[in-house]
Amino acid sequence: MTIHGFRYCLTLALLLAAGTAGAQQLSDKQLIASLGQAAQAAPIVDVGLLVQEVNANVGKGVATLPNWSQLANLAQLAVEIDFENDSTAIEPASYRTIGLIADALHDPRLRHYKFLVVGHTNATGKAEHNLELSMKRADAIMVALTTTFSVPANHLIAIGVGQEMPLDATNPKAAANRRVQLINLGLAN
Amino acid sequence: MTNRLGIFGGAILMASLALTGLGRAQTISYADAVTVLAKDCGADIKKHCRGLNLGNNEIRNCLEQNQAKVSPACTSTLASVVASIQMRLEAQASVFKVCAGRAKQLCKGVVGEEHILQCLIKTERLDGEKCNAAITNAGWR
Repeated sequence: MTIHGFRYCLTLALLLAAGTAGAQQLSDKQLIASLGQAAQAAPIVDVGLLVQEVNANVGKGVATLPNWSQLANLAQLAVEIDFENDSTAIEPASYRTIGLIADALHDPRLRHYKFLVVGHTNATGKAEHNLELSMKRADAIMVALTTTFSVPANHLIAIGVGQEMPLDATNPKAAANRRVQLINLGLAN
Repeated sequence: MTNRLGIFGGAILMASLALTGLGRAQTISYADAVTVLAKDCGADIKKHCRGLNLGNNEIRNCLEQNQAKVSPACTSTLASVVASIQMRLEAQASVFKVCAGRAKQLCKGVVGEEHILQCLIKTERLDGEKCNAAITNAGWR
């Protein structure tokens, strides 16, 4: 199931990166189906430790580190959200993707769960800058969801991982590495 | 072409929001709402609201403050989109309260929001106008 979930995430990310019609291929049903597969023995994620690990490994990658590697075991989905160049402003072309996420997070099947929003960049530019930008962009997505779409603020946590966990590790500058991961952290309190 | 599409999108939105007949949603999904916003206001956002975000009402405030410069299609779409999002949020927040009585009657022993909702969708004919309207406007049918 884990492997299946991860493959699904890969496929979707690739579909979304493939062309202009990409955003229309994602639906809230897909989001609900992928994110709703809460694993029975889901590992407890300590977001503070994730931040510590990434801060201590800028430019070195985090995929194999103890806390980051655990995330692969959780129900998740990767989507493409475009921003203005070197800015946290979400491009209007990506508003639909934000709206789809809002539709999914309000659905009765998902609305009691807590989600991690992880921002990723590709490896163009400086690693430190990429980390900071990815953090601010993940935050902008969270703010859009919690204000414009009233998703409860305690149901979302935003973090950035910069270029440290590429989808395509052999090609770190690939556009497919720029993505946002949504990860189900289990029931919100 | 883009502009024509934009106006067309806006017209669909206005029409769907204007239809208040029984069983017809007065709201559209959040995704559809912001898609129409991007279509009808994308150019104005690029021109007048660079660097501003969808969150914290930044885009909405910017478009309203620049109303004199913003296209009429965008201004009217913005109002409908804001209204639709607000109405859907209220409907989603109210479904299980508005339908609580019917759920107790019609869905005895059913536990969990997801299952209660599935039950209520099946008992639509008996759910009453308010409960049905809430489920429909929540986009959960």
